[in-house]
Amino acid sequence: MRQLLLEVFGWLGYLERPEVLLQLVLVVGLMLGTRLARRRRLIPGWPSLAYAPLGLSALGVVTLALAAFGQPYGLCRQLGIIWLGWYGLHLLHPLLLRWLPEERVHQLESRLLRPGFLLVSALALIKEVDSVNDLAVTRLGDVFGVSISTGELFKAVVVIYLVLVGCGPPAAALAWLVQRAVGLSDGSRKAMELMLRYAVVGIGLVAVAVQLGLNTTALIAVAGGLSVGLGFGIKEVFSNFVSGIWLLFEGSVRPGEVLMLDGDPCEVRHLGLRATLLWRDRDNAELLIPNQTFFTEAATSYTASDRMRRSQVSVGAAYHHEPAEVIALLEATAQQVPRVLANPAPKALLLSYGDSAINYALRFWIANPMDNVGICSEVNQAIWHAFKAHNIEIPFPQQVEYSMVWPPEQHKPNTEHR
Amino acid sequence: MMGALQGSMGLLSALRSRRSRHLGLWASLISSAALAGCSAVPQLPNVLYLAIGMSADQAIDGEAHQEVQDRLAPLEQGYRQLHPSTRFQFSLYPETDLGKTIRDRTQSGLGPDLLFLNGATALKLLDDGLVDPYPANARDTAQFNPGDLDRIRDRRGRLAGIPVLVQTQVACFNRKQLATPPATLDELLAASAKGRRIGLSADVINLFWTAGSLGAVESITNVVKGNPIEQQELNTLIRWLAWLQNANNQLRVTFYPNQQTVISEFLTGRLDWIPCNSVSLPRLRQRLGPHLGVSPLPDGVGGAASPVNRLRVLALGRSSSSAGRARALAFSRFSTNPMVQRVLTLGSQTVLPANRFVKVPVQSSEVLEAMETSQQESHVISSFLESIHAGDSRMNKVQAELTILLFGERSPEEVAATLVTAFQRSQ
Repeated sequence: MRQLLLEVFGWLGYLERPEVLLQLVLVVGLMLGTRLARRRRLIPGWPSLAYAPLGLSALGVVTLALAAFGQPYGLCRQLGIIWLGWYGLHLLHPLLLRWLPEERVHQLESRLLRPGFLLVSALALIKEVDSVNDLAVTRLGDVFGVSISTGELFKAVVVIYLVLVGCGPPAAALAWLVQRAVGLSDGSRKAMELMLRYAVVGIGLVAVAVQLGLNTTALIAVAGGLSVGLGFGIKEVFSNFVSGIWLLFEGSVRPGEVLMLDGDPCEVRHLGLRATLLWRDRDNAELLIPNQTFFTEAATSYTASDRMRRSQVSVGAAYHHEPAEVIALLEATAQQVPRVLANPAPKALLLSYGDSAINYALRFWIANPMDNVGICSEVNQAIWHAFKAHNIEIPFPQQVEYSMVWPPEQHKPNTEHR
Repeated sequence: MMGALQGSMGLLSALRSRRSRHLGLWASLISSAALAGCSAVPQLPNVLYLAIGMSADQAIDGEAHQEVQDRLAPLEQGYRQLHPSTRFQFSLYPETDLGKTIRDRTQSGLGPDLLFLNGATALKLLDDGLVDPYPANARDTAQFNPGDLDRIRDRRGRLAGIPVLVQTQVACFNRKQLATPPATLDELLAASAKGRRIGLSADVINLFWTAGSLGAVESITNVVKGNPIEQQELNTLIRWLAWLQNANNQLRVTFYPNQQTVISEFLTGRLDWIPCNSVSLPRLRQRLGPHLGVSPLPDGVGGAASPVNRLRVLALGRSSSSAGRARALAFSRFSTNPMVQRVLTLGSQTVLPANRFVKVPVQSSEVLEAMETSQQESHVISSFLESIHAGDSRMNKVQAELTILLFGERSPEEVAATLVTAFQRSQ
């Protein structure tokens, strides 16, 4: 490591060369100048995106001038190419948005395109001052008795990063193919996709360790040591990770599932390594629940075996209406609501005799548990209209008031007042 | 004090408005720098950037990096006793790519201060304007053999660099398998007939030593110089080629595409005898330990072997600052100092000194003796080497013909005729 740091520190020595300083000052000056001009809108009516080409053109002219005077210009050219590439990435953004959703574009840019570009740029600049191959073979130190060089570590980090970032689309494609072939549900497909990703990441990590030549015995010893650490330090993290894997295999909490949380139906959006992301329809909130919660606590699911939910609304009708008529009307009304399933058929029940009305319940089935509140509202509205059409009264609560007379001995019952 | 005052004013004004806050920041930075200047300005490191060309038979890996570092360490330590603040930063490049790499880096002003490379490559870089001529004075040049200097002098008499070392071609063998090294080509084939495994590189430069053993060097030199070839000379050329073809027909003589493969096969114990460059000796010693034997290359019916030794020179890069150039010159002169040359030779026993006033104690070491013999024998090809420059396209044709010969596609007579035509083609 010391050797690598000394090597990098040694690059500062190039700054004693006037030609290098001149190029750096020119490039940095033009970059800052362009930025300042764009911020302050120094050219009226000039589009914001067009300032960079202006700066790049100026840099091109400066580079040509240096070349014409026989001065070194390669650093200007190299930095200009990097600047141009970065600008190109900005131009690529609207093009990508035509083909991909914004979230995907953001992921692609932040996880792959920009890091990749910066990496290539850094390598190109290092190549200007040093031998990349030389740096790659610089020893960093020993890990479990195995000598690790900069190049090996760099390759390992890049491979791990690419596996972590890049295994998503292939895993999704494979899961989709399996779904098409076997006929899995969407939830199962998503679970399979996640499991494939974990498997690829796991295999990738092991492959990198093997490629580095790490001693497996030492790794096992470290794993033993880590288990103690896991017991004390990162128990919760590890517990959540294992819970997540277990839940995936079990299939009870998978993306697309609907779970009841604090009385609200929530849809599972993403099952992460540590926590599960749920979406609550009521207030469009995204809830991050540790995986361990689902592993240790009871949860209500509407999507374990199928996605249907039996819902219910309550209503009261006046005592003077024939209950059989009311029940028939309620069932007929529910059947007319479009999002209420015809089969199983809606069922109305007389539940109890209340203070002011006879209490009925109307039970019906819906296809998507997340739509429950909306469908209940539709059913309630339909009942109101049906009752109105059939002159069925929904009574207000009725109370009898007595006027008290003092002293109580002079008080007479209401019947006597009449 | 002025700087501090400016800084204070800057800081006061910074409180007034957003714009002046920026000005204040700049002012405080400048004043800080000014104040720092009164006490201690951080100095840029005095770095000597050294690019090292590695031959095609040397792999650029961690081991090579370590070897170079180990070889450079005593030199660096010695130099730092005189110039304590100087640091060294070296980069290894394949000699074949050196031209392009140095061109790219020089275009950026980031080229190395010094290049350590083969004399022929240095001459090529001088022709291409990628290194500066070495400003050698009479005292400098007096240290070297005029022949060595001629090898690195261009048509205008400019020196492409200053000679530092000679890497020689010798024979390496495994003592566990071969008690006595073969002294002649016949003994070499006899050893192979007895079960010893011989490895040769099909690369023409690495194989050229056999031309001397079979007496073909003079013929080839004549042809390269464009002189008409006589029948007797053609016969020696055919004899050389016939021996190569015959050797390839031997069961335990194997030709490999390059010297790197020959070395790695020898290291794994699949070969018992190989020709090797002395620069490979540290790696071979590390693996074989006391079982590594080193001897001169076998002679033959035509005379002594004609090894192609590499004269390694230090050439001046074109991007140096004036201070960097001064460091480069100081270091190159330090490296050719007789005391340093002696340390380099005796310390590693892998190279010979370029300074002619340094005597090699050949009786103290069989390796030094083998290298010294190789150096003596290589004089026979100096005339040939003067006519061939780095990247000479004629050598590509010769290489292609030699490969065809080794595969038995053509007879030695046919290949000899083609080689004559190829060599006589003017550049």
